[in-house]
Amino acid sequence: MLGVAVSAAMLLDMVMLSTGMRVSLRTLLLSRGFQLRLAPKGTLPFDTDATIPDASNVIRVLRTIPEVSTISPVLGGQLHVTVGTRTITATALGVEPSVQGDYEITQGRPSARPNELVASDDFLRATGAKIGDTLSAASGYDPQLRSFTGRRTFLVVGRARFLYMPAEHRAVALPIATLQQMRGAELRDRASLFMIRAREGADVDTVLQHIQAALPAVTAVSIETAMRQVDERMSYFRQLAFILGAVSLAVGFLLVTTLVTVSVNERLGEIVVMRAIGVARSRVVLQIVIEGVAIMFVGAIAGLGLGLVTARYLNSILAAFPGLPAAIDFFVFEPRDAWGALGLLTVAGILAGIYPSWRGASLPIAITLREEAVG
Amino acid sequence: MLAALLLAALAQSIDSTPARHPPRSVAIDERLATDARIALGDRLDVTTTPGGVGDTVIVTAMVRRRADPSEVARSEYRVIMHLDELQSLVGYGDRVDRFAVATRGRAATDSAIRHINDVAFGFHAFRSRDIAVETSRTFLVVSRFHRAIGVITIVASAIFLLCIMLLKVDERRRDVAALRLMGISARSIVRSVMVEAALVAVVGSGVGVALGWFAAQLINWHYRGVYRTPLAFALVTPGIVVLAVALSLVLGLAAGLLASQRLVRMPALELLTGRREARHVTAVVR
Repeated sequence: MLGVAVSAAMLLDMVMLSTGMRVSLRTLLLSRGFQLRLAPKGTLPFDTDATIPDASNVIRVLRTIPEVSTISPVLGGQLHVTVGTRTITATALGVEPSVQGDYEITQGRPSARPNELVASDDFLRATGAKIGDTLSAASGYDPQLRSFTGRRTFLVVGRARFLYMPAEHRAVALPIATLQQMRGAELRDRASLFMIRAREGADVDTVLQHIQAALPAVTAVSIETAMRQVDERMSYFRQLAFILGAVSLAVGFLLVTTLVTVSVNERLGEIVVMRAIGVARSRVVLQIVIEGVAIMFVGAIAGLGLGLVTARYLNSILAAFPGLPAAIDFFVFEPRDAWGALGLLTVAGILAGIYPSWRGASLPIAITLREEAVG
Repeated sequence: MLAALLLAALAQSIDSTPARHPPRSVAIDERLATDARIALGDRLDVTTTPGGVGDTVIVTAMVRRRADPSEVARSEYRVIMHLDELQSLVGYGDRVDRFAVATRGRAATDSAIRHINDVAFGFHAFRSRDIAVETSRTFLVVSRFHRAIGVITIVASAIFLLCIMLLKVDERRRDVAALRLMGISARSIVRSVMVEAALVAVVGSGVGVALGWFAAQLINWHYRGVYRTPLAFALVTPGIVVLAVALSLVLGLAAGLLASQRLVRMPALELLTGRREARHVTAVVR
C-alpha cells in the first residue's frame, strides 16, 4: 500500500507541476487587470535592456484606439543609494503611480510628487531607511570623473510588494519622468514596457491586432502569447512532469497488479469453490477488479497527503530560481488536478485487476480444487 | 578665374557624397543563418530599431552556440560585431559592458582584482570562477530538484522491487515447501533465494544501465534539437553506474531476505496447501 501511495503522490505532484507554472503565471499577469504588454520589437518584457523610443508618441497612438482603457508605461533602471561608506544598488522602476501595475503598497502611500519613491522591504532593510526618511540617490556612475550621475534626493513615502520580482530583492519605484530625467539623454522619452488594460467587454485579440497595426515597431504581447513563450522556455518541466507522471502511473499499475495477483494466488481455493457452487465468472472477475480499485483508491487517498507534502518541498527547491517572482509557484494544487490524478489511478486500478481476475476466474475448477485439496 | 575654380572645387566637394567605408565584417549565429537563410558573404543591413537607419555589414563567419547551460533557455539570435561598430550603431559612446582580463597566474589575479577594485569607481572586478558560480545558480536549483525527484523515484522503485520479489518468491512457495519437507534447512533456503535475488538484481541493473544509456542518448538528441545547443542534458557516468548497481544489489538482497524470511517462517504444510487450517492440523499432529 505504501508503494501505491508513493506512486499516487508522485503522479499528483507531476500533474501539479505540468499545470502549476501556467496557472501561477496567468494569475500573476492578470493580477492587476492588464491584459496586454508592449515590449521592444522581438523581445519579451524586461528580457533585455532594450527600450522603446518616443514613449509619449506611443501613448498618444494608443489613446486613439478606442478599446484601450489604461496605459501604464514602465522604465527599468538602477538606483544607487549611498549610506555611510556603502553604496546600495537597487532595481528602479519608473512608473506612473496612478496607473501602475507593478507593485502593491503595504504601508504608507504611493508617490505623488517627482521626488517621492516607494521601496521594497529588502531595500529598506539594506539602507536602514524608514517611511518619511530622505535618501540621496543616483542613477549612474561616471568612472572618468569618479562621480555619480543623475543625483536626486528622494523622500521615502511607502513600502511596497513588487509583484514581478523575487521576494528578497532591493527595488524602488519612482515616477517615470523622474527616472528619465536622471538618466539624461540616454533614456529621454523612452520606456522599457507599456502595460495596457482593455475596456470591459472588449475583445483582447482585436485590441492586440489594432495595436500591432498602429505600432509596427514594437511587440505587443497578450497573456496568451506570453504564456506560449514561457511554455516554450519551460517545456522541460512539462516534459519531465509527463514522463515521471507516466512512470508513476505504470509503477502504480504494476504494484496493484502484483498485490492483486498475490492475493488471488493465496485465495485460489476460495475462488474455485465459488466457481464450483455456481458463482458466475463475471462476478468473480468483478470482485477481484473491485479489490484492485480499492487498493488503488486507498493508496491514492494516502498519496494525496504525501503528494501535497512533497510538492511543497519540491516547490521550495524551485522557488530558489534566481529572479523568479515570489508569486510564481511550480506546484499549484487545484481540485481538478486531484480529480485528474484520482481518475487516472482508478483506471489503472481497473486495468490492474483485469489480468489476475481473468486468470483466477479461468482456472479449471476440478483440477484446481483437487490441487488445492491434495496439495 | 582662380577664385572661380576654387569655388567650383569647393562646390564639388560639398555636393559629392562622402566616401563610404567598405562594409565591416560580422559573425552570425548558425541558427540565425539557418532560419533567415543567410550565407557567408551576404550583405546585411543592421539597425537598432526596425526600419531605422543603420549600417551595411558583410557576413564573414558563422558561430556555433557554446555548450553553456546559461544560454539554453534563451532563444534569441546572436550577431558578433566589431566593438567600435556596435558602439557607434547603438550610440553607446566609448563604453563597454565588461572587460575580460587575462592574468599571469593565481597570485597575479588576486593582485589585479585588489588593484582594480581599489581604483575602480562604478565598476568592480570579479574572478571568472565567481561569475560562473553566480550564473550557474539556476542549474544548481535544477540539480537539487533532480536529486529530490531522484530520491522519491528510488523510494518508489525500492518498494516496487520488493513487491516484485515477494511475488516471485511467493510463486515458488510450493517448491520451498517441498524443500522444507525434504529437510533442507531454512538458512539454506534463505541463502539460495538471496543468491538468486542478487543475480536478478545484477542482471536487472545491467539491463537498466543499457536502458539508461539509450534513454540518455534519446534525451540528448531530443533536447539538443529543441534548444539547438550542443549541451549534454543526460550523462551516464561510471559513478552513476556504480551507484545504480550498488543500490539495486542492496535493494535486491533486502527484498530477497524479506521475501524468503516470510516464506520460511510459514509452516511447510501451509505453504504447500495454501490453507491456514493446515497450521491447526500440524499442531494436532505434533
